[in-house]
Amino acid sequence: MKCALLSNVNIESIARQMVRHEVHIAQGYGVWTQELADPASGTFNFGPSSIFVIVDGAELLRGQRGLELVLAEVDQQLAWIEQAAELSPGIKFFISTVDVPAQTLRPIKEENVERCLEQHWQRGIARASANHGNVYIFDLKELVEQVGRSFLYSNKRWYLGGLRFSIAGEKLIVNELERILDAQLVTRKKCLLLDLDNTLWGGVIGEDGIGGIHLSESGEGARYRDFQLRIRNLGQMGVILGIVSKNNEADAIEVLERHEHMVLRKDDFAAMKINWSAKAQNIAELAQNLDIGMDSIVFIDDNPVEREAIRTELPDVSVPEFPADTCELASFFGQVYKEYFFTLESTEEDRKRTEAYLANAKRAAERTASASIEEFLAGLRTKIFLTRARDEDLARAAQLTQKTNQFNLTTRRYTEQELRALQTTPGTEVFIASVADKYGDNGKVLVSVVRRQAPDTAELDTFLMSCRVLGRFVEDQILDYFVKELRSDGFSKLRVQFIPTRKNAPARAFIERLRGGKLVSDGASGAQTWEFEISKASPVTKTACAELVTKSVPLAEIAS
Amino acid sequence: MEEKLISIVAAALRVPRSKLTLETGPGDLEAWDSLAQINVASEIEAEFGVSIPIEQLAEIRHIRDFLRYFEKTS
Repeated sequence: MKCALLSNVNIESIARQMVRHEVHIAQGYGVWTQELADPASGTFNFGPSSIFVIVDGAELLRGQRGLELVLAEVDQQLAWIEQAAELSPGIKFFISTVDVPAQTLRPIKEENVERCLEQHWQRGIARASANHGNVYIFDLKELVEQVGRSFLYSNKRWYLGGLRFSIAGEKLIVNELERILDAQLVTRKKCLLLDLDNTLWGGVIGEDGIGGIHLSESGEGARYRDFQLRIRNLGQMGVILGIVSKNNEADAIEVLERHEHMVLRKDDFAAMKINWSAKAQNIAELAQNLDIGMDSIVFIDDNPVEREAIRTELPDVSVPEFPADTCELASFFGQVYKEYFFTLESTEEDRKRTEAYLANAKRAAERTASASIEEFLAGLRTKIFLTRARDEDLARAAQLTQKTNQFNLTTRRYTEQELRALQTTPGTEVFIASVADKYGDNGKVLVSVVRRQAPDTAELDTFLMSCRVLGRFVEDQILDYFVKELRSDGFSKLRVQFIPTRKNAPARAFIERLRGGKLVSDGASGAQTWEFEISKASPVTKTACAELVTKSVPLAEIAS
Repeated sequence: MEEKLISIVAAALRVPRSKLTLETGPGDLEAWDSLAQINVASEIEAEFGVSIPIEQLAEIRHIRDFLRYFEKTS
């Protein structure tokens, strides 16, 4: 990934360590504000997708000009940051918090200017982040507080080379920077499965009873409560929570429903397997019910035998070690978050995910009760909202291209920046659709990139949909709509690309149920292009029986 | 000790060990510039748990000089 580092101290040594990414640093390290202010600077010419601004607090105070002057200068710097973010909406800006060690000796009666500066900066970057979707906070101060200044800084390196951080400190910073870059490339895990006894509470419910387990507001039992609070945080960030426990279901449910200190309740879990079967079997079934891959799952269990069994039988499931000292549960979970679930931001879709999965379970129950698929689909009263992706939709659209594996015809991963570029390419359109039904809103679940290839031929570069609405022919209905629009714009051929992967069997099933396709190219890698004659008939045979709302989808622009 | 020193320097410079001998020093390799020299010293300090005074660091011309420094101070 291309990123640029800007700083008021020498960060070349940090840049050299980031070998997995393409890193640019400005020549001369006092020039960070000029680099930001000038849209033609080396930093912007490099074309980074992320810019890190790492600000050394002590340097902000250099010269001892009095607090007023320093704060005025800081306001100017913050204004440059905001302006740059405004002018380059496609670049993500990560602005560090500052740590300002005491710069002078002074009696304790006098005002602590360092603290004032830290707070002023903090408020400024929080404002910038609130005002600009592409400004993020890189919490350097938190890192300093975790490991301490004597560890993070090095006086010797400062005097020798203007290098503020110790060699070990630089490695920590590089880890954090790479975590942020990787989060934009790698898909995070989707689901956390938890054991109950001695994991969510202390003791064994089947033996100790609801009054005997350790779980309380304060005191010893609070270590489990604090652990649960963080797990709930993660659920709110869109990670699906589930339970896999060997217990009598009624005992466990009683705790979930009745124990006064439980933070996590029944509705916080999208899926539960509480029985005496092997956990590997339970996890496999859960994955199937939730329609997620094994490699999307993290499993936490205090029992080393269970952990080992899952590692052996389901090697794609991530199984972190459990802390030997349960006082460390909350901080252990902080590490679990960083390692498996770290994310730059959570979207509205993320926050509603568990709800969506619970609604899905209800739909599945209704489906079983319906006589025919058509009756079931009509009964859902589905509404599809299809629109050309607007600027504010692109973050979600990029997220969908990054993490959708199953119903994805081409598995092309796009960043927000790339989608924005596609959206402004003549003849190319990025669409996004959301799906709602009587059980609730599924959020934005489908992304398609349609490209005009020749005067009479259009092509689907990307067609993907979240598996949470799979099996309802939503994708068929949208393709049918595309076909009709293209036909009325004078297109007679639609090319559909299909690139098979280990995971996209649902996409293959889709291709196979389309009617009248001709295989026009069949690459060595297995990539296929199907061509459909659309001037008279549609390849789609079955639809979602949904109401399709299109907010003036400008397919006409494709033809123009 | 010699082997360990060479390993540390190789890692700090991101070059294969085979490119280094005890007589290699700053400027002998493209990777060993003035910034790399600071990192080499920091890594050696961290690995051996010592702090080499800035005056002594200025005297170091080859990997062997680190050895001499440790012999002198032990």
